Amino acid sequence: MGQIVYAAAMSHVLYPDYYDQNVGAHGRRMVEELIDVVRDMGRTMLGARPDALVVIADDHLNVFSFDAIPAMCVRIGRSVDRMVQEDAIEFDRALDGLPARYPLHEDLANRILEQGLESSFDFAASWAAPLDHAFLSPVSTLCGDRPAPPLVPFWVNCFVSPMPTARRCFAAGRHIARVIAEGPWNVAIIATGGLSHFPELSFARIGTSDAAFDRRIVGWMEHGETDALCALTAKEIHETGSHELLNWMVLIGAASPGKARVRFFGEMGRVDLAALEWSLS
Amino acid sequence: MSRYEVNVVLYRLKKDSAYRTRFAEDACSVLGDVDLTEEERDAFARWDVRRLNELGGALHLLLSIPGLSRH
Repeated sequence: MGQIVYAAAMSHVLYPDYYDQNVGAHGRRMVEELIDVVRDMGRTMLGARPDALVVIADDHLNVFSFDAIPAMCVRIGRSVDRMVQEDAIEFDRALDGLPARYPLHEDLANRILEQGLESSFDFAASWAAPLDHAFLSPVSTLCGDRPAPPLVPFWVNCFVSPMPTARRCFAAGRHIARVIAEGPWNVAIIATGGLSHFPELSFARIGTSDAAFDRRIVGWMEHGETDALCALTAKEIHETGSHELLNWMVLIGAASPGKARVRFFGEMGRVDLAALEWSLS
Repeated sequence: MSRYEVNVVLYRLKKDSAYRTRFAEDACSVLGDVDLTEEERDAFARWDVRRLNELGGALHLLLSIPGLSRH
């Protein structure tokens, strides 16, 4: 029997210079504190000796274009490349020193995809999509100089309306947990992004977050109140700038009925930063 | 339809450096055969990112076009 041996979620712009430039010294200090916490979480994760690492994250219109945006997509194949883009924005340029290619856990990815389609989850599949900061910033911070476990990248459409519902993302996570339980592997799973930022995806509202909303949803995660999380509407998610919470909902589904422990929570103003680990039954 | 076209232009500006260069030199000419409203065309010509966003341009594209974006 396979099992989830580690489950966590964390903000994914782990780049102090970005916050220094856009928020100031207190932004830099806050993300540096978060990075230290994520490094410590990585020691716990790798100590659990996972055979695979499922990473739930979003595409910032780096990979998928308006020609086709999958609601959810499983990266299959044997390896995945780091995104390389001429004149990439700052926190993707920060990936430049990382390995150019990462092994995938092909068997687990295929099972999530194939059994998903058999179970009414019409996941898209990609053989070629590269990974941007949403995946590699957390993975590289968690793993440091140690090799990352074979990856299973899983994209959720967080930004191009219509997005999948919070409830559907939770259900996808339950599916992933079932596939893992039926397999032979020990698996770590993380979700990335958030917390609230860029409300309504509006240029005019850049620089604001919704700390009260973030405190409320983190409390629900601590208490395992998944019904309340699943009931969040697209309107609430959009207005509060909680689009990347959809990634977290997949993780919350996978870790259910586990409860979260807050490792880091910081209210920055431009974005609220967080890192949580889930207890596993 | 137009919203799609706005984002197609933005995506190409992000990914295609030659297109970006031509746009910087003469935006009106580059957008000549693109199906945009006059309002959209004007916002592109003035590179008014807030207006492009209000007209349906994706925030994450507007934030990530080399040489044209600002946070």
